[in-house]
Amino acid sequence: MTHRIRVDWPACEAHGLCHELLPEVIDLDEWGYPLVISEVDDVRLSEARAAARACPRLALRVERT
Amino acid sequence: MSHSPVPTTDDLDIHPGPALLAGLDDGPGLEAHRRRHGALLDQGLDHLLRVVSDVHGRGGAAFPLAAKLETVVAQGRGVSGRRRPVVVINASEGEPASAKDTALLLVRPQLVLDGAQVAALAIGARDIHVVLPGDRPRAHHAMTQAIAERANEPRSRLRWHATTAEGRFVAGQSKAVLELLSGRPGLPVTAWQPDAVAGLNGRPTLLSNAETWAHVGLLMLRGPEAYGGLGTAEEPGTTLLTVSTPGQRPQVREVAFGTPVRSVLHADQAGLPVLLGGFHGTWLAPEKLRHATVSVAGLRAVGAALGAGVLHAPGPGRCPLELTATIVAHLASQSAGRCGPCFNGLPALAHSVRGLVDGDPVARRRTEELVGLVERRGACAHPDGTSRLVRSAFAALPDELAAHAAGSCVAVRRARRTGNLRVVAS
Repeated sequence: MTHRIRVDWPACEAHGLCHELLPEVIDLDEWGYPLVISEVDDVRLSEARAAARACPRLALRVERT
Repeated sequence: MSHSPVPTTDDLDIHPGPALLAGLDDGPGLEAHRRRHGALLDQGLDHLLRVVSDVHGRGGAAFPLAAKLETVVAQGRGVSGRRRPVVVINASEGEPASAKDTALLLVRPQLVLDGAQVAALAIGARDIHVVLPGDRPRAHHAMTQAIAERANEPRSRLRWHATTAEGRFVAGQSKAVLELLSGRPGLPVTAWQPDAVAGLNGRPTLLSNAETWAHVGLLMLRGPEAYGGLGTAEEPGTTLLTVSTPGQRPQVREVAFGTPVRSVLHADQAGLPVLLGGFHGTWLAPEKLRHATVSVAGLRAVGAALGAGVLHAPGPGRCPLELTATIVAHLASQSAGRCGPCFNGLPALAHSVRGLVDGDPVARRRTEELVGLVERRGACAHPDGTSRLVRSAFAALPDELAAHAAGSCVAVRRARRTGNLRVVAS
């Protein structure tokens, strides 16, 4: 079962931690905001959840697709 | 704050129409309204669902109303307490070039209120919120008056609440409206769930635009014959359009679905690109305009969107690319500034679209890049609508883009030829 990352845009302040923790799924745009570039497969699910927990603004959610 | 490139007004030329805008001579009062249509009866949810099965939202997204209704009801019919559903009339008309909801508030407010009332009774809602435009004082006053008239009707179970939205583009987005109603600033927030599941203060919320509610009201009062057979098999009935051109009062007209788009335009506008759907809308090239009809599906098929029913003709001598740049700059100024990609991306996009007007050789690539960077990356549809407008300029205005890249302008050249150069780009 695949999952995807959703961003709470008003909450996000471009700290960029999500990209550090999950570079295969999240890139950063030219202003430092997350660019979700792929879905989250089962192998990376726990890493994705950890990245969501680590966000200083709690601006990420891992959702089922 | 920048001014809207198409002025926002409630000074309108409202044409009589076949259904919603019929019998305007009666005036907007409740007594005349009841005399004309009879009493509004609560005939239950199943009846309502049958009657509105073809109605889609007129706020811009054309979402089927019945689907929203069913979602609200699926949360638990007749539930009380904190999960009791609420009904919202969004009459804030955030789109500056649109004035059709304003027209309804002025001349047919009771039809709008009837639609929301009958839905509220059918789904067991007690509270109906009406969100009024803060920047259109006459319409605001007319609707406030209309709600006050309802106080004497024997419907004590329902509570009406009027709230004024700020005259700002994003304030009309449904999530922003729900924020305003819950006592916070009327700015968009992330929607984890649809309004119909968890909207105002977490309650299942049936939110629709004023025109949508007017159609519901009319259909419940008159039945399917309300439209007198007008419309097409796929899209029965009528819809409201705001037709505007610089230097003239905007017209609000009710037309049947299937009406040729060019029939509501002046002859001298029909050979020129037209902006359809508003600032979040799409440019329609003259060759597509020729065969286009007023239809959600039909316009979608030619890459355009009816949106909130705006038809803006820049008119001879006004460059559509220049207008696009002015609109994008205005939209950038209207960002709530809460979402990074919109806050950063829209000013950058405004700059690069200005570059297209000025013939900057790198502007095309930069614009395409920025359009991709803002889409679907915000709490509301503001960045998406802005990029839709810019994408449509690429599709519908290739001659103008090529001319500007070469330091010229098709609109100005044509106007010089025909001696029609009325307005020079600002």
